[in-house]
Amino acid sequence: MSDIDSALKVLADAVASPREYALAWKQRTGRKVVGAFPMNFPGEIIHAAGALSVVVQDSRAPITDGRSLLPEFHCGYTRSVADQAATGNFDYFDAFLCADHCIQLLGAVDTIRFVMPRTPVHFVQFISSMNDAWGQQQINETMQSFADELEQLLGVQITQEALAESIGLFNRNRQLLRRLYDLRRTGVNITAAQMQLMVQSSMVMDKREHNEILAPLVDLFADWTINPPQPVRLHLSGHLCHAPRAELLTAIEECGATVVDDDLFTGYRYISTDVVTDGDLIEALGRWYVDRNDNVPCPTRVQHNVDWDGYLMQSIDKSQATGVIVLMVKFCEPHMLYYPELRKTLEEHGIPLLLIETEHEGLPLESIRTRVETFVEQIRRRQSSVPVPA
Amino acid sequence: MSVELASKVNRLNVTKDGGRMVSDYWENIFTARERGKRVVWYNGSAVNPIFQAAGLEWCHGEAFSARLAATHLEGPAQLAGAEYGYIAELCSYARTHLGCAVLTQRAAERAEAGPQEGFETGIVGMVDQEELASKLPTPDFFVNAYAGCSTGQQWDEITYRVFGKKVPIFNVSLPTLWGNKADSGYLRGEEWDRTSEYVAKQLYQLIEFIEVQTGEKFDMDKLRENMTYIKKASQLRREAMDLCAARPTPATFWDWISSIAQINFLPANQELVDYFANIKHEIQTRLDEGVPGIANERYRLYFDGMMNWNKLGWLAKKFADHDVAMIAGRYTHNAFWQEPHLIDTDDPILGMAQHYLLCPTNHGTKTLQHLMTRDVEKYGIDGVVFHSSRTCRAFTNPQHVLAETAQRDLGIQTMFFEGDVADASFYKDEVLDSRLEAMLEAIDVRRIKTGG
Repeated sequence: MSDIDSALKVLADAVASPREYALAWKQRTGRKVVGAFPMNFPGEIIHAAGALSVVVQDSRAPITDGRSLLPEFHCGYTRSVADQAATGNFDYFDAFLCADHCIQLLGAVDTIRFVMPRTPVHFVQFISSMNDAWGQQQINETMQSFADELEQLLGVQITQEALAESIGLFNRNRQLLRRLYDLRRTGVNITAAQMQLMVQSSMVMDKREHNEILAPLVDLFADWTINPPQPVRLHLSGHLCHAPRAELLTAIEECGATVVDDDLFTGYRYISTDVVTDGDLIEALGRWYVDRNDNVPCPTRVQHNVDWDGYLMQSIDKSQATGVIVLMVKFCEPHMLYYPELRKTLEEHGIPLLLIETEHEGLPLESIRTRVETFVEQIRRRQSSVPVPA
Repeated sequence: MSVELASKVNRLNVTKDGGRMVSDYWENIFTARERGKRVVWYNGSAVNPIFQAAGLEWCHGEAFSARLAATHLEGPAQLAGAEYGYIAELCSYARTHLGCAVLTQRAAERAEAGPQEGFETGIVGMVDQEELASKLPTPDFFVNAYAGCSTGQQWDEITYRVFGKKVPIFNVSLPTLWGNKADSGYLRGEEWDRTSEYVAKQLYQLIEFIEVQTGEKFDMDKLRENMTYIKKASQLRREAMDLCAARPTPATFWDWISSIAQINFLPANQELVDYFANIKHEIQTRLDEGVPGIANERYRLYFDGMMNWNKLGWLAKKFADHDVAMIAGRYTHNAFWQEPHLIDTDDPILGMAQHYLLCPTNHGTKTLQHLMTRDVEKYGIDGVVFHSSRTCRAFTNPQHVLAETAQRDLGIQTMFFEGDVADASFYKDEVLDSRLEAMLEAIDVRRIKTGG
């Protein structure tokens, strides 16, 4: 096993069972584990309070008890969250925090209050209308309320020093991951599944430990052979709250394409933005929330000076992607609302687009392969000078 | 004195006047441009008294989608939305309204291009329906004030984009009342006070925004006058609802559904007050004369969920045919200026802000459990019917937990049926039939066991 494979194996174990990882961490440190819900909760505050910050993940387990909590037409992530709570798989969390307003997410988080009544579930909503004059103040106040709540929950004081250290660790983590994205754009062979693994493991692991694994990995990948340019270079877009199945990412690349960039939540969207540490650090986290949407606009926010489709075009320019695969989680309302705007812009710019809807259970890989192979072939034909018969 | 009924559904006669008022309202909206009026499109909360005070004409997106669905004219708008790229699992209110936006844009382009063949009105069919769906006058600006559903805010953001990002938009942010603190509860606690003030401040900002759009100083006296009418109408509505605790009930949930539009978005004026005064009067008269809301009331049920507008009359008849009086519901009884005592007519902004927060999808489940329990006890409810509305996740979020609460804590029966707010394709009639019959049998068995 290569050094890269060995390091990835450690990350894969954490991703395969965040619960096992967190329980071991708790036993080792004697500290608490706090779950944070996608997409915008700043884990730095949790870390500064001495707890393990875990972005609550989708589980591969089929939905069982969760069926009696949420209907089948809610997105797979939220149903999985309800199911994990109902089946006792969230027993390692000492508290949950949520700052996002997706209506399906709130429904899932509310079920946790119902089935885990003794575990604190704190929710205060970050404003989602980003251009409002009073927005930054509301965000700063909300950010402070989270710090206050954590202090009360965990019986600690979050100092500026601790917060500065946590922000430093998180920034370092994001920078290392972004370096991997840069390497991939320049042709280093990092598969889509590997990239997702490195980002997703960052969501569930202790950041210091993750950085210690990641830093040498970046060096190893930097020394990796650069592949000859691939004719079909894809950007993966969507999956706003949880990870698409790794086997889907692998299948896409097995169809003759290379994934060169993405805006997935378990991808570039999560790591896009560092916290700028000048002045008060709670306010710095508040600015980070705003900056994130400037950098990678999200359809769950309303903001008029940035567009997801505009960002996508810039990203495509940077990565020289030749096509976009939109991975849409079935029943994801913000994505369903925004999708026509993406489609319109990509069509206007002549960028081929393939929409793949994903569900929690059931991944029809063979039919997906057929669709992706056709899509790849369309891009190849478009690139070739051979005229396509009418 | 009991009265022999020709039909099991005995709809309030006054609601026919209500239907006329709503039709007149929309016909008036359709001619707004011809009358030189400025038009605002909005979604979510009933901010219309502010628009009325500013001399605007207002188009409520959800209301227009509901109207199209209730009159079975939603098809062309939904087809236009699908063609534009909206997937069928998306909120059907949003999908229908966005389809209207697409059609309105096309109509505006056609108008600029001059008369063409194929778009004449006069035949009943798809072309006419499309004409109706595209009849909304183009907006001068948007206002979004959506509580209890993130999709609501995103929907207007997309409408803004469909219109090319050229039409100004104002967002009122309405936080969910999560109800986590020890002092939290319905109309009380620090969270309630803080969020009420937060929203009130935004309403003042909204008024400033409107002043910029209209170029005129806002008439606060006019708003006070509007809210005085609203408060009176709301008090009458609540008093009339209270009368329906009687057995048999003199009016049903379906009558209250037929009276949502009036309280939610029709102009605040004496006609509105008179409408609800007449409703109360008719209900009181029915009580005095022993006239029930349905013939042979044997079961008293509660409706949880957004309305299925495609099937309004159908559902009313179906339940009545089973001797079910649908008495009350989360959508009708816990929304639409339902706490008139909060409105200070001299200084109405705070009370308005509070009502915008009191949307029945804007509470944590704990508060919804409280509201359902309160209504069940007040109206002597035998069971709860949950409308599992396929594309309205805001309403379906807490339903399974509420069902368990009803069964476990209140000891009453529950059932679910599948449908949707504005997309008829999700409705499953056979499922409703079998589940309703099973539920009513279970109620009978329970009565036998308890001697009730």
